[in-house]
Amino acid sequence: MAKKIGVYVCECGNNVADNVDIDRVIKALSPLRDVAVVEKYRLLCSEDGKEFLKQSIIDHELTHLVVAACSPKQHEHTFMSVCVAASLNPYLFQMANIREQCAWVTQDKEEATDKAIRQIAAAIARVAYNEALEKKDIDVYPDVLIIGGGIAGIKATHVLASPDRKVYLVEKNSSLGGKVKGFDKLFTKMESGSALIEKELKNLREDENIEVFTESEVEQILGFFGNFEVKVVKKATNEELNFNVGAVVLATGFDLMDPKGLPQYGYGKLDDVYTSLEFEEMNVPGGPTGGKILLKNGNPPKSVAIVHCVGREDKGYCSKVCCMYSLKSARMLKAQLPAVKVSQLYSDLCIPGKAYQKFHEETKDLGVEFIRAEKTNVTQNSKGMTVKYESETGSKGDLAVDMVILVPAMEPSSDTNKFAEMLSIPIDNEGFLAQEHQKLAPVASSVEGVFVVGCAQGPKNISESIVQSEAAAGKILSALVPGRKLELEVKTSEISETFCTGCKTCISVCPYSAISFDDFREISVVNEALCHGCGVCAAACPSGAASVKNFAFTQIYQEVEALLK
Amino acid sequence: MENNGNSTSVLVIGAGIAGIESSLLLANSGAKVYLVEKASYFGGNVIKWEEVFPNMECATCMIAPKQQELLQNENIKLLMLSQVEAVQGSVGDFTAKVKKKARYVDLENCIGCNECFEPCPVEVDNEFEERLSKRKAIYVPCAGALPNVPVIDTDNCLRFKGEDCQLCQEACMFEAIDYTQQDEELELKVGAIVVATGFKTFDLTQTPQYGYKKLNNVYSIVEVERICASNGPTEGQIVLQNGEAPKSVAIIHCIGREEKGYCSSVCCMASIKQAHFLKNKLPEIKVSQLYSDLCIPGRIYQRFYEEVKGSGVDFIRATVNEVTQQGAGLAIKYKTEDGKGNTLNVDMLILAPAIEPETDSSKLAEILAIPQDEHGFFSEKEPDLDSVDTSREGIFIAGCAQSPKDVPDTVAEAEATVGRILSLSR
Repeated sequence: MAKKIGVYVCECGNNVADNVDIDRVIKALSPLRDVAVVEKYRLLCSEDGKEFLKQSIIDHELTHLVVAACSPKQHEHTFMSVCVAASLNPYLFQMANIREQCAWVTQDKEEATDKAIRQIAAAIARVAYNEALEKKDIDVYPDVLIIGGGIAGIKATHVLASPDRKVYLVEKNSSLGGKVKGFDKLFTKMESGSALIEKELKNLREDENIEVFTESEVEQILGFFGNFEVKVVKKATNEELNFNVGAVVLATGFDLMDPKGLPQYGYGKLDDVYTSLEFEEMNVPGGPTGGKILLKNGNPPKSVAIVHCVGREDKGYCSKVCCMYSLKSARMLKAQLPAVKVSQLYSDLCIPGKAYQKFHEETKDLGVEFIRAEKTNVTQNSKGMTVKYESETGSKGDLAVDMVILVPAMEPSSDTNKFAEMLSIPIDNEGFLAQEHQKLAPVASSVEGVFVVGCAQGPKNISESIVQSEAAAGKILSALVPGRKLELEVKTSEISETFCTGCKTCISVCPYSAISFDDFREISVVNEALCHGCGVCAAACPSGAASVKNFAFTQIYQEVEALLK
Repeated sequence: MENNGNSTSVLVIGAGIAGIESSLLLANSGAKVYLVEKASYFGGNVIKWEEVFPNMECATCMIAPKQQELLQNENIKLLMLSQVEAVQGSVGDFTAKVKKKARYVDLENCIGCNECFEPCPVEVDNEFEERLSKRKAIYVPCAGALPNVPVIDTDNCLRFKGEDCQLCQEACMFEAIDYTQQDEELELKVGAIVVATGFKTFDLTQTPQYGYKKLNNVYSIVEVERICASNGPTEGQIVLQNGEAPKSVAIIHCIGREEKGYCSSVCCMASIKQAHFLKNKLPEIKVSQLYSDLCIPGRIYQRFYEEVKGSGVDFIRATVNEVTQQGAGLAIKYKTEDGKGNTLNVDMLILAPAIEPETDSSKLAEILAIPQDEHGFFSEKEPDLDSVDTSREGIFIAGCAQSPKDVPDTVAEAEATVGRILSLSR
């Protein structure tokens, strides 16, 4: 069928008309190949303009459409809708931006007119090679897999489960509750962490849309947003479970850095040097000391030093919550042992937000001492332990104490790398699972449908972890609506079977893990459900096999050639 | 409320980054969203910033695609120049009264050519630009603001003061200017409400010791954001009041912290960002940060701090006593922690003020019948546990309306309100 390209130039009131000689544009473009009609209109985006455009497409039986007007950001969507109304495939349409890129910026009218002619000629040359594309959609599973049964995982499960959405919660340990379960007190209200977990678990137990697997490992996750195939193995029985979900939430939490690697603190060598988590354990009524804060010799401590920021320098980041829970530890000490002397050795107090300074001031009022210390060293002799410290200005001091509580940096839990590899999620410089966008997509990962919440993506407090769980739930509930199909990106990449040499370059550069290798045919294959059409593969492919639909080499070449003619 | 996406409708108050994110996610689920914004433009505080830490992305470019998506989303009704006046009912069945002021420029007909500004004879301070530049009585706050449709400021427009001026209408080729437009009262039926009204900054004239509004070349961090902005009053040129580039700048942290009684979370990073920006624009400039405690929480920020420190920015732990004029420059008297007094002489001083709830928060709290805390921020139902629920079921808070926070935490809260709202049916 012969091509019939219609070209419509918008005067945009006087915005284009004042600075571009539109009659000369029409005259110059009319003889171009395949151009059936070139016309101008006062304002194409107006209701009259859209109707005129629609009728023109029908009357002239156009096969392709070029609109020369404003930025596609403003009205591409508008004119694509007009195409649809006129039964023309909207991908057989191209815009030339002769307002922002020409009339508004090119001062001389003659020059602007020449430029507009080139811009529109380029769009004509390109549109002739555009492909008619169709929107595709896929059925989705609304169900969700949550990995990690700490507070973040529990909350995500609770928010997501509903009669039309099943949630699978997988925890490697024998019980749910994560780290929070082991905290006798939580800042700032000093309420029990285990009671909080118990309350949350009650909600889960009562919900028949939730399936919990404890002592279980996720062994494999294949597929894409809307349709992941999951394999879980129950460790005790080796029983294998297979099910499908539409989305995955990683809530794998954190570990504390092991202070044994930092000999200056004496951890593992001196009797009464503890990590903050060990101190937490001491406070739990059912714990090893029955909830009593005791030294190794069975006596309660008379003086305690809490050393902040252990390992911060090595990690290269601030663990965000340590200042606050060190204040909490001081309060727990003071509550149980009113006469105890507590000293906080810190470098910068990080207590962000509206509620924490008050907690700090109240703690200080209990007689807790705050000492600014950059370098700290713990030693022991026959008289007891000494904490030597040096401030940033060089002044030195020492403290004789019975007990030292170290506050180590938080690091991603040991499972992080396993899941990063399983799901092809990048790990950031600090070892945590990376976000899709640091500012705008805090819980999404670069793999669509996989979300990372809580301390798995960086140190955070309980309320921030809960918010992130609810945020992932918000993203999932918004996109995976039961009974609704998922629309896929239209302009995806395609790899020519004929030209692909199987070098796998595309696989290594694809940020969405959308390309896999077909071992039998020895070529790369694009998964359209994962491809975002970014074009990185097309740019990297050495044999020209990869290209993005409607950004093919021919189209770009034709466009550039017409621009430069 | 049903979860199948069609029967839910939500009122979102405030069209900053939190309100935008909530609205988009809700709309994509199939819910109908009324997004109410009191200004004539949307995008909130973020669009005032030239770049955002720590990757120094252009803030406007970062948020513009979301704004465009929102403007084209048929499930979202963006009501600008609007304020919520009353709310009745309960979760699943709220009725909200919204007053929408007339813009006097038709959103459909206006194409954003700006031809109407030129002939306007009125010139007043541009509030968006922190009064560092002038605007007309018909105006858009800055280049690139969305929607790209002006508004008539009836307090200053000659016609609305009774004079027979219609110069803007005569200049408009699209008959977009309509002096007869009326304010509207809308009644909206919604199932849930998201409050995302954001923040303002502490009034620096309350701390006179730093010389704000008394001495030359003393700025707030917000003013400097506009000075740094390529679409701002100086088009991104960092200049002193005498038109010369500063050779030395000091940034004082934590202004108003003592008065407010809390740490505003993001000022250290914002101050470090401005140092980065200054160093980038004027490589020879000497930048000193006067701070008490560095609060750069989380895994991402320390790297940025170290980079900026490495570029030659001085970090001085100090308490500032007084700022005075010294010749053409400024003298900052400060004390370090060991009690030593010292003086720093600079050409320009930037103050980092505390973050406060938006002006109308108390009025809105009353309308919505939700509590505020002692600082005026909206209170969450369960402090330390869940920051998006309020004590009134069906009403949620996101972003700095709840407490000072950075952009990612704000976006997460916005997404969390969606999680909570879409799961309300159970």
